[in-house]
Amino acid sequence: MEVLSWDGTLSSRDFQAAARVFAENWKQFNPALPPWTWVPCLKQPSRLSQEQGYLSLEKICLLGSNKEDEQEDVDEEEPEPVDNATLIESAGPQVCYYDFHIVYSDSYRVPVLYFRGYYIDGQPLAWDEIEKDLPACSSKVLLESKWTFITQEEHPHLNRPWYKLHPCGTSEWMKLLFLGDESLATNGVAVEQYLVSWLSVVGQVVGLRIPFDMLNHHKSCN
Amino acid sequence: MSTTKSLTATKKVVIHLRATGDAPMLKQAKFKIPVMDKFAKVIDFLRRQLHRDTLFVYVNSAFSPNPDELVMDLYNNFGFDGKLVVNYACSMAWG
Repeated sequence: MEVLSWDGTLSSRDFQAAARVFAENWKQFNPALPPWTWVPCLKQPSRLSQEQGYLSLEKICLLGSNKEDEQEDVDEEEPEPVDNATLIESAGPQVCYYDFHIVYSDSYRVPVLYFRGYYIDGQPLAWDEIEKDLPACSSKVLLESKWTFITQEEHPHLNRPWYKLHPCGTSEWMKLLFLGDESLATNGVAVEQYLVSWLSVVGQVVGLRIPFDMLNHHKSCN
Repeated sequence: MSTTKSLTATKKVVIHLRATGDAPMLKQAKFKIPVMDKFAKVIDFLRRQLHRDTLFVYVNSAFSPNPDELVMDLYNNFGFDGKLVVNYACSMAWG
């Protein structure tokens, strides 16, 4: 694909190819985090010959600002035997998990980041609780940006409401990103590069980072 | 010309700001920044100069750096000749 005439989108097949490469490289260069896994779906088995699916990264603890519970209640004045129920009630900052899914949008022809937050017991986080876990610069600016704003809607493959970064600006900024790279302009759009570049933008909203090594590896392969 | 020098904490990097898309060009498109500063400072500088809160900022490798990244690390990965090119575009209006 020539960059100048490229519209910033990719096909479903290319998305799957990019997802495979992305997941492999993430495992190699981001060993501190769990790997992305491909989750196949049988949404439209008859219409399309290829399987559908999405990338999944689950049970991530975001290092957002913790609530300022000083845990003053939990001290040595309680000689009673340990009671799990009491411990949970008087515990400090709650541990929250986040699930991230990268789902292909047929209508926009770009990947879309879906995410949700929940407590250990599975209870979903409300939006104002999630906002506290997002990076400081993210919640102030990126959420109001025309390029990246968040909506809530039903996950395309799971019947539950998830939050998603709306994809309407994606093709525009993906095209800008690739235009800025001389080697890509010369050699054409590298499908394997797509998700790395994409997540470098989208990840800023939710606090996922691309290690430089991973980016450099992609580039040296192209 | 010059041997490749590794940046120490006291050095500065020249940031070369490049307007892309329909973003306005800046009168002052180059400035120096200490290598130990975070990329957030570059973004803030752009925001103040352009009087806009929402910008799309990226470097010449199809990559948008996290604001928490150190300028030094960005230079080592994406810079050359003592300078780092930072591209910016303005948000589109909803239509």
